[in-house]
Amino acid sequence: MTLNDDLTIILTAGLVATAAGLLGPFLVLRRIALMSDAVSHAVLPGIVLVYLLLGTRAPLPVIVGAAVFAIICVLAIEALRSTGLVKSDAAIALVFPALFALGVLGVTQYASGVHLDLDSTIYGEIAFAPFQTVTIGGFEIARSIILLGAVALANLALVTLLWKEYKATTFDPEFSRTIGISPALLSRLLLIAVAITAVTAFESVGAILVVTMLIVPAAAAYLLTDRLWAMVVVTVAVGWVSALGGHAAATAVDASIAGAMGLVAAICFALALVASPRYGLLARAVQRRRRRRDLRTALAAGR
Amino acid sequence: MGWLIDLIPLDYSDAVVVLAAMLLGITAGAVGVLAVLRQRSLVGDALSHAALPGVCIAFLVTGAKDATTLLAGAALAGLVGALLMVGIERTGRIRPDAAIGVVLASFFSLGIVLLTYIASTDNSNQAGLEKYLFGQAAGLLERDVAVMGVLALVALTLVAVGFRALKTTLFDPAFAGAVGLPVRALEIAMTALLVIAIVIGLRMVGAILMVAMLVAPAVAARQFAGRLALVIPLAGAIGAAVGVSGALLASRAEVPTGPVIVLVAVGCVVVSVLVAPRRGVLWRARRLARDRRRILAEGVLVDLETAIHAGPPLTAAELALASARPARALRRALRDLDRAGMLDRDGERLYLSRPGAAAAHAVLERRELWAAWLEHGPALGVPDAREPDPTDLRASLGDEYADRLHALMRAAERSP
Repeated sequence: MTLNDDLTIILTAGLVATAAGLLGPFLVLRRIALMSDAVSHAVLPGIVLVYLLLGTRAPLPVIVGAAVFAIICVLAIEALRSTGLVKSDAAIALVFPALFALGVLGVTQYASGVHLDLDSTIYGEIAFAPFQTVTIGGFEIARSIILLGAVALANLALVTLLWKEYKATTFDPEFSRTIGISPALLSRLLLIAVAITAVTAFESVGAILVVTMLIVPAAAAYLLTDRLWAMVVVTVAVGWVSALGGHAAATAVDASIAGAMGLVAAICFALALVASPRYGLLARAVQRRRRRRDLRTALAAGR
Repeated sequence: MGWLIDLIPLDYSDAVVVLAAMLLGITAGAVGVLAVLRQRSLVGDALSHAALPGVCIAFLVTGAKDATTLLAGAALAGLVGALLMVGIERTGRIRPDAAIGVVLASFFSLGIVLLTYIASTDNSNQAGLEKYLFGQAAGLLERDVAVMGVLALVALTLVAVGFRALKTTLFDPAFAGAVGLPVRALEIAMTALLVIAIVIGLRMVGAILMVAMLVAPAVAARQFAGRLALVIPLAGAIGAAVGVSGALLASRAEVPTGPVIVLVAVGCVVVSVLVAPRRGVLWRARRLARDRRRILAEGVLVDLETAIHAGPPLTAAELALASARPARALRRALRDLDRAGMLDRDGERLYLSRPGAAAAHAVLERRELWAAWLEHGPALGVPDAREPDPTDLRASLGDEYADRLHALMRAAERSP
């Protein structure tokens, strides 16, 4: 028994959306959304190095290699920042291009043509997801679904087990420090989870969709709700909508599925930005209008 | 442009690459300073990603693949991205980092969709658009370089002409607004300058890595200069050097140009952060170590001087006990003092030599003067409000005030 190809693709993307959506809200709220961009680019040399040293693309060593480089990336950014000579935004803008450049050179020099081609790491070939399968209990299922499902579960475990801690450090780092929860440690843990999510999703959906799924649905959700748990739920939902809509759009015009999914996520964000009942542009315009009118009547009454 | 290429002592294609890399480096370096100092470095990242769909749309609309048309598309898309970023930020709910991330991801997704769509239409012209992802210097035409030259000239002229206004807006936007400068327009102009630099660099460095080309020369230059009027030209020079060496290296090794230029640029930053005079990490570490050593030696000098008045001269072991300093530090201080000729030894016992005693007195006098400054400083009425240098109060106050401080101190000692 096998899964239908389209279903596999949608399920893979949906699991990426779930895994990323669980982390995205915290990144956006902690204002480190761009660290996810940095980290997901910086894992490339880890993948290449594992391939060069061990000649394998098996998931486990690749994830370990990528996680190592994610940590290197975070530590390098912190080291540059701690000199006091480079601001944190500039540090991010220096470290991840350098690591990514190393990865690109490694790919073009030593690993070209052998599965590790660059395009698929950047914009991914989710269309190939159904071709790599494993058989579990007589049920043939795509490897990407198993892997991403595991990562999504791990992220779910991380977020639910440390829910209280993450909530405290996100909204009041000073308070959480005084009660003995280290914001820096939790931040690092979060970024490692981002890196593992990024690298697992890398080969099936490409770096850019990971970054999109980490930032855009969470930003859209932030426009729609004020409660953390609701924000996480909305983020994951927006991710799934993007996966479904993107797949449909991509098959219609025969373009990159990952790119189309990103585009649908962007459209969701644009809709939220315009039409969010409380923070949307329309709602704000209406509020401003009403306030002006109220003021005018109040002035007229006072006269 | 032809004569310039002839001037460079390299074969034609290398000369074109060198010229292009130089133009890119100068512009990106000079303009990048404006982004880095506003702590908006990553705006460059979003803008260069946003250029990709512009390139694709220009190709789809015109069917041309010459760099100039495609880059015009890139510029337009970059400007749209910049305005969207400002717009999203201005709604208030979304913070700058998320706004940058959203624009970056959305535009790049659009770019990927268009890129794959173009590939699937099987247009024989389409080969080459991917160069705009990672950059490829090879195959640049003289005409493209001429366009780059014009753009670079425009950007640099704008920076030079608007220098005072830009400087004021950078460092004190509130003041700039108060004196009637169009702050919002100037901020948009700075972003537009970034777009120009990105357009020049897109073909050489590629969309993903372009941000490093904007940020690295600025950060490196900032370590060596403290004035905007110096930082901007220096960043341009560093950018040019980085661009030329990286592009040549890459074309020799036949690898994509972007990654090599970026690695050279970031290497430059690391070196300058380490060794920059007065600011660099190594420089500061060395100064700290030297200061610690000097202060340790002075402390031991004073210990010896005061010990003489208390009893017979000390041995090194007794000194260690009395001063409670770590043994290694003490040995090191004694070695330093020996080398400076400040110690005399009588067997195990330590004496201060004549210069040693003089130095100890000088240290004591300095400490006394500092204590006096803390106690009576306000009574001096020094016209200069700056805090004087505690390590050398006499030099920074001047002899006259130092003598008056002494007088005040003596007076206070006499009247309890």
